[in-house]
Amino acid sequence: MITRLLDNVRSRLTHMGEAIFFLGEVLRVIGRGKVRFNEVLNQMYAQGVQSIVIVILTSFASGMVLALQAAITLQRFGAKEFVARLVALSLLRELSPVFTSLIFSGKAGAGITAELGTMNTHEQIQATRALGVNPVEFLVVPRFLACVLVLPVLVVISEIVGIFGGYVIAVSQAHIPGAFYVHQTMEAVDYVDFFSGLIKVFFFSAIIGWVCCYHGFYTKGGAMGVGQFTTRAVAYSYIAVIISDVVLTKIILTIWG
Amino acid sequence: MIKVQGVCKSFAGEHVLEDITFDIASGEIVVLLGSSGVGKTVLLKHLIGLIAPDQGRVLIDGVDITSLSEEGLLRVRKSMGYLFQEGALYDFMDVFDNVAFPLREHTSLSGPAIADKVREVLKLVGLQDADRKFPAQLSGGMKKRAGLARAIVLGAKILLCDEPTSGLDPIRSRDISDLIRCVAKKIGSTTVITSHDIDNSLRIADRLILLNESRIVAVGTPQAMRVHQEGFVREFLRV
Repeated sequence: MITRLLDNVRSRLTHMGEAIFFLGEVLRVIGRGKVRFNEVLNQMYAQGVQSIVIVILTSFASGMVLALQAAITLQRFGAKEFVARLVALSLLRELSPVFTSLIFSGKAGAGITAELGTMNTHEQIQATRALGVNPVEFLVVPRFLACVLVLPVLVVISEIVGIFGGYVIAVSQAHIPGAFYVHQTMEAVDYVDFFSGLIKVFFFSAIIGWVCCYHGFYTKGGAMGVGQFTTRAVAYSYIAVIISDVVLTKIILTIWG
Repeated sequence: MIKVQGVCKSFAGEHVLEDITFDIASGEIVVLLGSSGVGKTVLLKHLIGLIAPDQGRVLIDGVDITSLSEEGLLRVRKSMGYLFQEGALYDFMDVFDNVAFPLREHTSLSGPAIADKVREVLKLVGLQDADRKFPAQLSGGMKKRAGLARAIVLGAKILLCDEPTSGLDPIRSRDISDLIRCVAKKIGSTTVITSHDIDNSLRIADRLILLNESRIVAVGTPQAMRVHQEGFVREFLRV
């Protein structure tokens, strides 16, 4: 029992070390400027297309639900005019960065792991080495960088769409004048709110890119392995995003208040 | 050209290779023969540095590749070609781009020069009409031919082929074996092939190395192997 537990701990520590070494290799390749920009653009397009529709749908729905709940609750206190502020700040500071990252992880992140995992099980990663090309440079860095570049764009889109969703409900259901809603939104949002969300997204995107590329790159066990590693990559990136959100939020609030 | 000295390899405590030692001369075609799971592919991957030995050395043109960093290995591999068992073609590229890939990576040839070279190599392996097909649209034999084209497009000084006839019918097996010998002799490659296909191995090899239970049990020319007196060799080769 204890031996099994120790083996388990040792195995997890080994994987952790391997993952950190893998991230170091990715950053080393980027640091040496060995970035294939065409591949990065291709990956950005692929990852963006994979996620954009579901991000828009969920953001619009989130904005609407948020406005509905806010309108009902705030109306009780005679503070209905604060709906716009609540919707905008909630979306910019928390909901859009976190929701979009989770959606991105489930769609594009899973895609990255499955793609790299399939390539690994079909020996294409080893073939890359055999052809004298560093597979981290050719296959991983473009996907990692695409994650880091695409996710912030998706989050900004999510924020705009979410605020628009809130606007639709506020105007049609809570009978708040449209111009007033827009004015309240503009007044509520400070650059700190916008950039604090984006700073978090930068970390989330790096985490998702790292976790999903790592799991794909080291996938074993054929088709079943691809499924298992993909599921694991998404689960781990969810957990990592949520935990890092707590830590980053605390740090950001401590610095900016 | 290739020297393997005392190579040992274990996975999870199980010995796969034990004290493997042999030399291969420049331009020679050597077949590593043995039953499935005997460690032929593991040994072949040692020759290109895809697997590092637990003990022993592998020398390519006098350079000990077991002491090289990954970057050093990447440089050495540019002069080598490796045909994977299933081809290992990039499934997001068509045949043309797969074969052009090493040229784009390692040469400064212009687009038209690359296209000419790719067409020349595809013609050599009989795939001139399949250049715009994706790997998923190819038969097993065609994938191996495309993999071979990619392996030789830089004019591999050393050509390593992993089970090139596995999964193919007898006619296709014969075709691909003859093609490898023809290509290897044409470009002057030192060639190492893993196989358990006895007939084709005896036909195309200059020399055979027979493995059993992680060790080399016999080395010799096809003629010498046919009259070998060792029991396992006679049994394996059905002589």
